[in-house]
Amino acid sequence: METTRRAKNVRKIMNMAVTYFFLILLAIFMMGPFLWLLSVSLMPGRNVFATPPAIFPTFIDFDNYVQVWAFLNFPRYILNTVIITALGVVFNIVLACMTGYPLAVFRFKGRNFVFVTMIATMIIPSSTAMIVHYLTIQELHLMNTYLGVVLPAAVSVFNIFLMRQTFLGIPIDVRDSGKMDGASEFRIWWQLILPLVKPGIAVIALLEVMSFWNSFLWPIVILEDTNKYPLSSALTYLNGQFSYNFGWIAAGTMISVIPIILVFLFTQRYYMEGIAGAVKG
Amino acid sequence: MRWIRSESFAAWAFMTPGLIIIAVFVFWPILYGIPLSLTNYSVIAETKYVGLTNFKNAFLDKNFTISLWNSLLYVIVVPFIQIFSILMAILVNSRIPGIKLFRAAFYIPVVTSMVAVALIWSWLLSNNGVVNYLLMKVGIISEQISWLSASETALATLMFITMWKALGYYMMLYLAGLQGIPNDLYEAARVDGANRLQLIWSITLPLLRPHIFFCSLISVMGAVRVFDEVYILTKGGPGTSTLVSSVYIFEKGINQFNFGYASALGLIVSVLIGGLSVLVFKFNQKGGVNPY
Repeated sequence: METTRRAKNVRKIMNMAVTYFFLILLAIFMMGPFLWLLSVSLMPGRNVFATPPAIFPTFIDFDNYVQVWAFLNFPRYILNTVIITALGVVFNIVLACMTGYPLAVFRFKGRNFVFVTMIATMIIPSSTAMIVHYLTIQELHLMNTYLGVVLPAAVSVFNIFLMRQTFLGIPIDVRDSGKMDGASEFRIWWQLILPLVKPGIAVIALLEVMSFWNSFLWPIVILEDTNKYPLSSALTYLNGQFSYNFGWIAAGTMISVIPIILVFLFTQRYYMEGIAGAVKG
Repeated sequence: MRWIRSESFAAWAFMTPGLIIIAVFVFWPILYGIPLSLTNYSVIAETKYVGLTNFKNAFLDKNFTISLWNSLLYVIVVPFIQIFSILMAILVNSRIPGIKLFRAAFYIPVVTSMVAVALIWSWLLSNNGVVNYLLMKVGIISEQISWLSASETALATLMFITMWKALGYYMMLYLAGLQGIPNDLYEAARVDGANRLQLIWSITLPLLRPHIFFCSLISVMGAVRVFDEVYILTKGGPGTSTLVSSVYIFEKGINQFNFGYASALGLIVSVLIGGLSVLVFKFNQKGGVNPY
């Protein structure tokens, strides 16, 4: 009896050791490139392409950060990114909450029609979209504006469905009790319903923060003034201009990556539940 | 007056702002792309109706055919992503201390921008870069490989980067699926003497099929549409070895202002993606799976 229990324990520990071995191997594969970038950004040398290539810095210094920060107008690019991200997130939250709400709780003519047409757009792929978006933004006189950057992604059918699912989980009594008190539909939505769907709103917020923070191509297309570029777009620009100064680019890239990784680490619980829930829903 | 107080009115009032934006940025591109593709719309010349000329030219355009072929080749990345992310999901589904830390670590490539990811890999994969150095040191390769600048390896290298960045995302989707599988099933099978591989083969995979369907569908569409990593890293080169259709359409449309022609190319690719999606649907129905 004693020996079988011990054998079981040994097997359990062996199992755990094997699992950890693979986990650590994978972690090196997934995180290694980032750690190496961090390492390069802290290297005093000018060239990462020394032979053999440097993997770890011999001593750590923050010169690259200081220099690239002084050279590029980072506060400006960060501000641009924050403006674009904030605009995009607010648009997405407000519009998804407004559009998803009636689809979940109201009975009205055309409800199914709206619903089905929206689903159809998710199936139809649209490679031409960018070209037509360009013309539309031009037509609306929004070239070179943040609004022009944000509008094409201001609402997504995916977010509307995510919110609709969330609203469906709210008991009908909440709306009825508001009606008894004579509140308008808008007030019921704003004061009674929205506070109950905060988790859903958080998921949309997180998804959109990530996507707007990282967008680089559309901003380059729409913004003529490079001073209006968000960080990601500025980085491609930096890469083109100073491809010889690896330490600087590495430091610049770290500066752009760190905020989003921090946001992710602090909110990962909601974020991951949201991603998983979105598939199941 | 009565209608204004009705639920219908309230519903449309709520939905109008969102629907306007969807109409302009989702429906309009789908609708407008078709007439646009029948013109020579560009910045330089006067716009004229040219019928199906753009479509005829598209099929005679060698670069476009190559780009279509490369886009289709890119789909090879899909099974690799699925297999590895399922294995990862099984691994991170274990209940051991610190597992959440590993899940987060595997997910970080997903949340970082493609610009940063592309930059890191372009350095790691350069001739004198870390990858060549390590592979040579271990003895897997005998001389440096120009991963991204040799036409034989460039496309495969891009696929590798795509896979590396996407793995965490699909891992999470599969993890959600794994956590929905009741534990009793495994217990029962274990009592019957099934080993670990048998458990995965006859319980995990069959029950994951809806997830496998969903994930393959979105990754097939993603692979055919791949743009960011290709555009940042190789712009379609060297030669035309990594020229994928979305990069070619972007070149023609946004860079060369050849809107009419680019729209035609876009329509052809759209039909192709639509067809591929139908294929994935059919393939899964044959297996008796009810898609979502």
